[in-house]
Amino acid sequence: MTLSLITILSLYAIIGLAIILLVIFSKSHRVINLLSIVLPASYIALALYTLASDVLPNYLLGGNYFFMDHLGIYEVLISGVLFLLAALYAKSYIERSMEIGEMSRNNLKLFYVAFNLLLIVITYAFFSNNLALFWILAELTTAFSAVLVVILNAPKNIGATLKYVFITSTCMLFSFIGLILIFTLTQSSLGAGTLNWSTLMLVASTLSPGILFASFVFTFVGFAAKSGIVPFHAWLPSAHSKAPAPVSAILSGSITSVGIYGIIRMYAVVAQTSELPKISFFLIAFGLISMVVAALTMLNQVNLKKLIGYSTIENMGFLLVGLGLGTPVAVFWTLFYTLAHAFTKASLFFSAGILHHQFESVRMDHIKDAFKLQPFASWTLILGAIAIIGMPTSAIFLPKISILLQSASVSPFLLFGLLIIFLFATVAFGLFLIKMFSKRSEDGSQELKRFNAPVSMKLPIIILLVAVFVLGVFFPQQLNDLLKTIVGELGIR
Amino acid sequence: MIIAPFQSIAQILIVLILAAAAIIIVKRDISSLVKTYAAQSLLLSLMAALLFVETGSIPLLFLAIIIFVSKTIIIPTFMTHILKKLNIKRDVEFHFLSPMKSLFASVIIIVFVYVSFSRLLAELNFFNSSLFFLGATIGISIVFMGMIVIFTRKQTITNVVGYLTMENGVVLFSLFLTELPLLVEVLIAVDLIMITLLATILAFGIDSTIEEFHNRLNPFQNTRKLSTNETSHDDFLRVQSFLENPNKEDK
Repeated sequence: MTLSLITILSLYAIIGLAIILLVIFSKSHRVINLLSIVLPASYIALALYTLASDVLPNYLLGGNYFFMDHLGIYEVLISGVLFLLAALYAKSYIERSMEIGEMSRNNLKLFYVAFNLLLIVITYAFFSNNLALFWILAELTTAFSAVLVVILNAPKNIGATLKYVFITSTCMLFSFIGLILIFTLTQSSLGAGTLNWSTLMLVASTLSPGILFASFVFTFVGFAAKSGIVPFHAWLPSAHSKAPAPVSAILSGSITSVGIYGIIRMYAVVAQTSELPKISFFLIAFGLISMVVAALTMLNQVNLKKLIGYSTIENMGFLLVGLGLGTPVAVFWTLFYTLAHAFTKASLFFSAGILHHQFESVRMDHIKDAFKLQPFASWTLILGAIAIIGMPTSAIFLPKISILLQSASVSPFLLFGLLIIFLFATVAFGLFLIKMFSKRSEDGSQELKRFNAPVSMKLPIIILLVAVFVLGVFFPQQLNDLLKTIVGELGIR
Repeated sequence: MIIAPFQSIAQILIVLILAAAAIIIVKRDISSLVKTYAAQSLLLSLMAALLFVETGSIPLLFLAIIIFVSKTIIIPTFMTHILKKLNIKRDVEFHFLSPMKSLFASVIIIVFVYVSFSRLLAELNFFNSSLFFLGATIGISIVFMGMIVIFTRKQTITNVVGYLTMENGVVLFSLFLTELPLLVEVLIAVDLIMITLLATILAFGIDSTIEEFHNRLNPFQNTRKLSTNETSHDDFLRVQSFLENPNKEDK
């Protein structure tokens, strides 16, 4: 028996809503958590099934609103894995947060409902063919993730959330203007307005390049804000550092992917026109600015999670540079980079979460005797840092070196610039870790009680790090084929 | 014959909507900010209704009704409710720009938008009417003016008004560009979601930091408890009214 794609698409919603109903009506944390693990697991299974049944490229579904292609499935798989591990990790993390009064027990269900709703909305965002629909779903991801950030009982969380909501939704309004421009443009040149990505891909070369470029710039503002590109990045470090660790991992891996996904889709449309050099320059410029600002700010960070947050900005900037280079090879590695970055970042935030519960803060001045108290988290943090700066044998290494080689063909100065920025980021991580881990408590000061991280908090970190280091040396053929298909479907020549 | 009054009424409405945005930039009193926003939305719904009368397209009528119900009734009522709960009356602190400077900045923005859009939109053959061009330009300008409000004001609630003003600008822009206002209705739906979300966050704020909120807003509150039975109460009231209205002398 084979399932049709429409059935699969509706299964995503049906399973999601059923799980949310069950979450609302169940009592114990254990059951609620288990349900939240089942949901991403079933999403991964559905995505793999769709991938294996080989009905993909560009199957239009239910009229013009949704479709599934390899890029969408790929992003859903990444998000599914992140949510699965975050849910596994969240059980003990949230339990501990409630024990120490960081989170109110009344908010437990709200947390899991928002968590599962966020996964549903992200999944449908990746499957939406209509750019307006994608816009709405992207706004909803802001709404649900904001709930997840504000959930802790701290005034600082409210400030961070307000910043997050205001900056992203203000910028998303500019995206909306861009969408109206595209709609009007297609209306005046085709007779009927459309925002369907697949239609736009077909007709892009006949549309006026000037207005298409303008609408790209407008839409870029909103999507860049979602992924923390520099002039619009102010929300990212504060939201990432104030959110509970599992939520930080999701923000860094999935929410930023939603923005990058939107930029990739728009890029694929505008790349069909004569404006391609202009948008390449535009993307590389914004990417470089983001990387420079993030790398320099990282140097004097005292907050571990903020440091990791700024590193996300730096990596998002690098993704834009990769996309801006625009060759099939560069885009291929850019896509792989999103996966490698999401996994590595999640492992870093998970390790930081254990330290957070040990020291009740992730500021450098509060962390002492880290190796003695939390040897596991300390080592995984170091391994994660080694992976994120792109040392060989980590999954970040291959895409990084390949994109760098591609950049050299554009201009050697771009390559030099990128190398210097990476040096700064590496130094920032190194300095921070050396300073943090060399701190010891003075003799006679009160010994902290050791926080015993359970297996459910350690296992996700181990899985992610193993995945990152295995993908660095062994590149599966299936993944290679998948990424090649995506590049082909995006029409990148 | 019919074209002429339509043109002039529409122009008047557009200018009034712009004027409302200017008032939002300079006003400090928050409840009148909300009222100005409601008035601007009313003008916007009249604009949609006028376009319906002109073109006879039913979706525009629906849009006018939706704008009226959500933006002139539901959201302002909601905002007033939150205002009462938070007990904030005025916005006295500003980032970067004072209201007057913001007003000048927005004049520059209008000119800039006019110049850049005249070149861009000339490519769309949709744009033969100068009225439509005016509407679209003013729409984008209002978006930027709302953004100025967000960046220069410190109070969250004024930021919300700024965001809503931006959205009114987008609606005005799209009224003149697209024939299918379904998109705009979607925007308004999202708008309602965001407002509910903000209210939830603020509610979290009220619950969890009630002490800090009040200490920050009302530094004499603790004094009040001590001084209610004493003669210094009147002095206290004078100080408090000054705190709420420190620029009284300026006017």
